[in-house]
Amino acid sequence: MLTILHSLDLIIPDGQFITVVGPSGSGKSTLLGLIAGLDAPTEGEIRIDGKSITEMDEDALAELRGEKIGFVFQSFHLIPSLTALENILVPMEIAGMRDARERAQQLLEDVDLVARAHHYPSQLSGGEQQRVAIARAFARDPKILLADEPTGNLDSRNGHHVFELMVEMNRRRKTTLMLVTHEHELSALADRRISLRDGRVVSDSDVKITTASGSERRIDLTEPAEEPVEASGA
Amino acid sequence: MKFILQMARRELRASWRRLLFFFACIAIGVGAIVAGRSMLQNANVAITTEARRLLTADVQVDSGRPWTPETLAAIDRVSQPIIEARTETIESPTMLRPADSSHEGAMMIELKGIEQGFPLAGDFKLANGEPFNYSLIQDNGAVVSLALLDRLKLQIGDDVKIGGSTFQIRGTIDQEPGGGSGFRIGPRVFIERAAVEGAGLTGFGSRARRKIFFTAPADKLRPLVRQLRDELKNDLVNVRSYKESQENLSEQFSRAEDYSSLTGLVILVLGGIGISNVTRVFIDQKKKTIAVLKCVGATGRRITVAYLAQVITMGVAGSGLGILFGKGVLILIQKVFADKLPAYMTYGLRVGAALQGLAVGILISLLFSALPLLRIRHIKPNVLLRESAVLKRGAVDLLRWITAALVMLGLLLVVSWQAGSIRVGLFFLGGLAVTTGALYVAATLLIFLVRRMRRVTSFALKQAINSLHRPGNQTRVIVMVVGLGVFLVISTQSLQSNLLHELDLGREGSLPNMFLIDIQKDQTQGVSDLVMQLTGGRPLLVPTIRVRITAINGTDIDFSESEARRERGRLSREYVVTYRPQLESNEKVVAGKFWDPTPSSEPEVSIEESMRGLVSTTSNSETHARQGGLDVGSTLTFDVQGRKLTARVTSIRHVDWRNSRTGFMVLFRPGTLEDAPQMFVGAFNGPIGEVERSRLQRTLVDKFPNVSVIDVADVVRAIERIVRNIMLAVSFVGAFILLSGALILIGSLAMTKFQRIYEVAVLKTLGAKRKVLLRILLAEYGLMGLVAGVIGSAAAVGLSYATSRWVFEIPWSFTPVVNFGGIGATIALVTIVGTLATIDVLSRKPLATLRAQ
Repeated sequence: MLTILHSLDLIIPDGQFITVVGPSGSGKSTLLGLIAGLDAPTEGEIRIDGKSITEMDEDALAELRGEKIGFVFQSFHLIPSLTALENILVPMEIAGMRDARERAQQLLEDVDLVARAHHYPSQLSGGEQQRVAIARAFARDPKILLADEPTGNLDSRNGHHVFELMVEMNRRRKTTLMLVTHEHELSALADRRISLRDGRVVSDSDVKITTASGSERRIDLTEPAEEPVEASGA
Repeated sequence: MKFILQMARRELRASWRRLLFFFACIAIGVGAIVAGRSMLQNANVAITTEARRLLTADVQVDSGRPWTPETLAAIDRVSQPIIEARTETIESPTMLRPADSSHEGAMMIELKGIEQGFPLAGDFKLANGEPFNYSLIQDNGAVVSLALLDRLKLQIGDDVKIGGSTFQIRGTIDQEPGGGSGFRIGPRVFIERAAVEGAGLTGFGSRARRKIFFTAPADKLRPLVRQLRDELKNDLVNVRSYKESQENLSEQFSRAEDYSSLTGLVILVLGGIGISNVTRVFIDQKKKTIAVLKCVGATGRRITVAYLAQVITMGVAGSGLGILFGKGVLILIQKVFADKLPAYMTYGLRVGAALQGLAVGILISLLFSALPLLRIRHIKPNVLLRESAVLKRGAVDLLRWITAALVMLGLLLVVSWQAGSIRVGLFFLGGLAVTTGALYVAATLLIFLVRRMRRVTSFALKQAINSLHRPGNQTRVIVMVVGLGVFLVISTQSLQSNLLHELDLGREGSLPNMFLIDIQKDQTQGVSDLVMQLTGGRPLLVPTIRVRITAINGTDIDFSESEARRERGRLSREYVVTYRPQLESNEKVVAGKFWDPTPSSEPEVSIEESMRGLVSTTSNSETHARQGGLDVGSTLTFDVQGRKLTARVTSIRHVDWRNSRTGFMVLFRPGTLEDAPQMFVGAFNGPIGEVERSRLQRTLVDKFPNVSVIDVADVVRAIERIVRNIMLAVSFVGAFILLSGALILIGSLAMTKFQRIYEVAVLKTLGAKRKVLLRILLAEYGLMGLVAGVIGSAAAVGLSYATSRWVFEIPWSFTPVVNFGGIGATIALVTIVGTLATIDVLSRKPLATLRAQ
């Protein structure tokens, strides 16, 4: 078995904005997927809100995701057969929310896509698709938003727009935001930055300190890893 | 729940086109069930409500012998106090010829002598629409079926001879009261009842059947029938009321209805297999959507239910469409066949049939999509992160096995429900499973062989062979379904050709093809001489004596028993027997010893092997066990024209009925029956031409008016018509299956079209011209058609061989035109349908396709 992610210990406090950086294949997406319960670790434990999710079955994980976790993917992953509005509606309808439609309209407004409500994904640009995906991720007001290189498939202007939108919504809703990215400028804005390489955490500078001179400095809190953690995957 | 419905609705918006063709199969299957059931229910209602009209009265008493004064007295004693009306008829097959000797022709007719008052129930209308008037037949008048005028080129007003009398044709009929069904030896002719006797057709040896009809108040019918049966139980007459025929007919119709429904089920099950496959491909294609739904909080179960809701919706839509389709078929039947079906028949859609069709359609959709839908559970949301994430599956998926078992059980229940019996349901499912399984294996094997040919030099052919293995392609299923349709069509065609060949007159020149019946003993010499003079050969004349069996091993047959009544057809029917010293070449003794050629005054009989084991009574099981069945050494008591005669069974014969046109169930040793009243039958080879045959009949009947001539050619023609009709019906079923095969073909192609579009785009980019691409398509479908055709045709050879040899017991011969023609037609069909369904991929611009990937 190939080890994607070695042993690591992470505690992410409520409301924190974290970025995960590292080269391709360093295990960033796997880490995110594990936190979202999209995959299960071969060893170790993941707790969300103090509750272990490692032993949960598929259905319990789905419910947990619906309730607490929003996810934004690099390649958007909108449902092609649904319109923008309907894509945003889906999580709320799954939860049986009463005011789903009004909320979806509001979210469309938040991402500035009211005019595109009845367009299908194939009729939207990449940036627009990702904004719909963000609206969908925020649909149930999740406590945690996980984003896997959300700007990776976008040009810099659109990427910037999407990024700002996420940070802005995160601030407004006080969500914990964990963002996987290649781009260092983006990670500079975060509260905490985790660097991965070959499946190991190489740095975790979790405090952003502004020095007297006005420059920023990060303090590395990483402890050397001991036992490797194996994650299943291809 | 709302999510499930919303999701199903939105998904359907996008996917219904892709699923359409499979549910069109459901529509065809449901249509077949609905049309078949409605049609038979309508016929049932028409015929049972018309049962009284069909019997032409409330109650009928009939006998094959002249009424004895005692019988008539008994009938009157019982009926007089109850009945409202009474009328009598005599029916007899006989010959009719134009009275004008220069007018050619003579033919066998079914003569019916009636009295004033006939029919007691129902209408009697002439062909011109006017009501029948009894005065038309008074004073030697006749009303005849239109077919007779056609055949003998006669007109109203012409004189004809029947027996020894002359009658004038005064009217024609299209449909006679109570008649029109069953096998007819000749057209119907009505004359006065008294005139039948006057024409000398009721004397000794006549085959006249006498009937007495009654009407009675409805509440008195059952007592009347019961009393008549009690009173006449030893008289060998039949009593029946229209109510009983109603019940019998109803039973037969509902059985026919259940069997007709199985035809629709074959199509539905094939459609179901298509649905099962398409659902699997569909779920594969929806993998990402399902992963997204799981990612945003939907549980596997809710997603499964949402997709199930889509399938059910399509099932409902398909079944609804099927009901419309069924209605269309009924309209078509009315348009095309109304003149061949009873006039009082209706062609409406039956609500019960429609609801059954709907239910079966939905159930089949549900059952066949259940297993593939379970795959939804195994789709992990991490496919969104990594394209290559594998479908994880437990070692033993218990739910899958339980579902599979439930699906099989459900299928058995649906089929048994439709067939009206679990046993038939099991046989049907088993048979279908074996057939489709064998076809599937054959398809797999052939496709594997085709794959081995990949080293061919033709680029188009190589690509086509690769295409047959495209992932998600339904090649084997298409080949199986098309193959099954081809199999049915070719089998019936080949069987029909074998059957008709067997009936072919010219082929069996050695067997007699004209028969003479009702020859009196003193006419034998004259008839023999005349035939010799006309044909150059003497006819073989055989004495016949009509007898009934009254006792077996000394125990009387008790006709009051209901069991015995059911067996009555076998036991009490009139046996035509003969006596001769030797066995014929088509006979073989299988038990006992055949007598010496010398006459013996001790009565001895030889019976045909199917009579072995007959018993006289079933109510007393002890007697039954003690006496055993009829066998060598048993005694049989016969009623020979009123005289009792007990004979010992000394041998049992096997008769090869195929190699002779006469055969006797019971054969007497010479020495007993020579003095009994007897008639002769004769057989000879007539001339070839139709005109000569007709002329010969005319000459014979002119000289011997009481003798009837049966032309085997006429009988063969009638049988041929029946065979063709049956085969047409079976071919119809095959055609329906072929149609569903074509739909499954189109549907499967639509399902994997995006792959094809991509391949074509790549090939175009690499320099392939449209002509090359078209050649690839043609080669692919041509190969598919070839495989399906070869499988269907090979299976058809097997089926037609087996049915010919073991069911019809006729020699089988290979029918190359049908078999190879069938393969060619299949190739053409699949190529045309497939190419038409996918030709648009050739005209797409590659850039857009490549960019979208």
